[in-house]
Amino acid sequence: MFRKSFILMISLFMILFAGCRGTEEAITFAVGGAPNEIEFWETLVKEFTRQTGIKVNILRQPTDTDQRRQGLVISLKSRKADPDVFLMDVAWVAQFGASEWLEPLDDYIKNENMNLDVFFNRVVNLVDRYNGGLIALPVYIDGGVLYYRKDLLRKYGYSEPPETWDKLVDCALKVQKDMRNINPNFYGFLWQGAQYEGLVCNWIEFAASNGGGIILRDGKIKLNLPSNIEAVQFMYDLIHTYKISPPNTFTEMKEEEVRMSFQKGDALFERNWPYAWALHQSEDSYVKGKVDIAPLPHFPSGKSVSTLGGWHIGISKYSDAKSKAFKFLKFVVSYETQKKLGLKLGWNPGRKDVYNDNEVLERLPHLAKLKNVFENALPRPNLPYYTQISEILQHYINAAIAGKLTPEVALSQAEKEAQNVIERYERK
Amino acid sequence: MSYRTFSEAKQSYTFILPLIIFILAFILLPVVGTFINSFFRDISFLQRKFIMFGNYKQLFNDPGFYGAIRFTILFIVVSVTIEIILGLIFALILNETIPFRGFLRACVLLPWAIPSAISARLWELIYNYNYGLANFICIKSGISTGPINWLGSSVGAFFGLVIADVWKTTPFVTIILLAGLSAIPTELYLQAKVDGTNFLQRFYKITMPLLKPVLVVALLFRTIDALRIFDLIYVLTHGGPGGATTSLSLYAYKYYLAGDFGYGSAVSVILFVISFTLSIIYIKLARFGESGI
Repeated sequence: MFRKSFILMISLFMILFAGCRGTEEAITFAVGGAPNEIEFWETLVKEFTRQTGIKVNILRQPTDTDQRRQGLVISLKSRKADPDVFLMDVAWVAQFGASEWLEPLDDYIKNENMNLDVFFNRVVNLVDRYNGGLIALPVYIDGGVLYYRKDLLRKYGYSEPPETWDKLVDCALKVQKDMRNINPNFYGFLWQGAQYEGLVCNWIEFAASNGGGIILRDGKIKLNLPSNIEAVQFMYDLIHTYKISPPNTFTEMKEEEVRMSFQKGDALFERNWPYAWALHQSEDSYVKGKVDIAPLPHFPSGKSVSTLGGWHIGISKYSDAKSKAFKFLKFVVSYETQKKLGLKLGWNPGRKDVYNDNEVLERLPHLAKLKNVFENALPRPNLPYYTQISEILQHYINAAIAGKLTPEVALSQAEKEAQNVIERYERK
Repeated sequence: MSYRTFSEAKQSYTFILPLIIFILAFILLPVVGTFINSFFRDISFLQRKFIMFGNYKQLFNDPGFYGAIRFTILFIVVSVTIEIILGLIFALILNETIPFRGFLRACVLLPWAIPSAISARLWELIYNYNYGLANFICIKSGISTGPINWLGSSVGAFFGLVIADVWKTTPFVTIILLAGLSAIPTELYLQAKVDGTNFLQRFYKITMPLLKPVLVVALLFRTIDALRIFDLIYVLTHGGPGGATTSLSLYAYKYYLAGDFGYGSAVSVILFVISFTLSIIYIKLARFGESGI
């Protein structure tokens, strides 16, 4: 009796775990996103299999960036052979690279004679290299831009979008005051202020356009600078003093909330990523044909800055099918695929040369403007522990724009804690 | 005879073997692993190194950790107290013979049946600044002239979370207490009535003492559940505004995500120690075994 049930159980366990072994013939590609994005990847993978005979399984991840990262961290930390190839947000590439989770790509590139000059050089050098070695390649690029209602600007006598923050405030105050008579929910300027990564991207744009930002030198971090204090104060003022940004900016405003409000016709200006363009121009959008994009404004002494975003593709160091995975990577960053990415999803290709394609420019004329924005976009610090620094910044900047702390106190506190983080993680 | 009992014992072990393996593999092993890991510098991008209490030292110097402890304890005290009081009231009402009792019992259970992440999304819509139900009611009824940013202040976000949690978990307390109430023999009440006691006397002298063990079970479950509050906060405030609603588990999660597994483990160990201590205190309080339960 005992022995029989024991044997039964052991065999049950074996069946259970046998299913966990990865298949070697097919490669696994981890990707998440909205349903239309997954659909895009599915057709792409079919095309790849047709061309090369290599099977690709899509490991479908959630839409949420943090959850996509969580899934990858767990697989890589436990050295699993799957997924073989995956997409990474620009903000994690350094962590993944420093953790030695990514296969170095230099040899593959050399063997295949691939030309890296077709990509945005700054992006490849600042994001995709860790300690000099190439570990990833850009799939698509993002950068913060200013969306504006060209119909309203014209109506109120402005010929051009504002170039400085002061002008933006003046213009927004004037338009908002009058528009409130028609639409009580109308606001001058929407941006991302909730406590999450997007807040740091917004803050970098405000601060760096005033000559500030995250200053790192010789293992010391500087945040409590007059230029940064002024930027945080300005963000606070937008909500509480000028009241051209809604009170829920620091609680609810993420990309989608901002995009939907603007798309309903509830705002004059919007800071968002380029993905909003295609949606603003869709059939059911109130602002279709009434919106245009411009570089973000700057402070009188600075120049316009856009935070670099986007997703990169890399190969797992623990992959059991690296050369096949590289073939797929090469396929994803190829001219044809990158062009499809732009035409089908409205994303901004990671390859520069696609921005000169006539068909692409005809369908997506705004890409001509974006190319310049991307070439100068400012990446977040390329540190493996950037996330911890970002957590601190999110916490304190959010506290400051909520009015819980003054900008000085918030930034000096953030600087102190960020310095602790650096000292902890720089110790070898 | 003795052979038979021996084989019976062997057989019974076979029956509980899967459970033992399950507990070893999925509960004991991860807990011990987390304990061990908390003594290491286990950061994905650095060499793994034994550092003894290094993570804990760092922990006790981190204002963010104290903030998370403060929030979590305050959250437990406030939300569990309200849940127990409301749950007791509901249970007492539903224990009486009232019309539609079965239907009402089913209704009360409904919020508990909805997954937390989904009910959190529900509350997100209620609190929403632009089109939320709460602001709609406040403006229409004239309580407020303009929309209120419910989750915009530390106090607002705190009570926003408490209300959502109370809504979701009071049913759980109600059901447990209801089971306890129905186990109390009705003869006791009848006899007490004959002796000329009033409702309050019966409540304090019969209901409360006999309900105590069940009450402690409800309290224990709720406290430990509230201690590891995560999903509600993750959806509703993500720890904001300005970190005011960061719970211990959210705090640990953020470190795991960033690749600092040693530090995340240390936070988890602290969570484990707190819930373990609380369980012991509660079990001692209830004096299980002495009362025969």
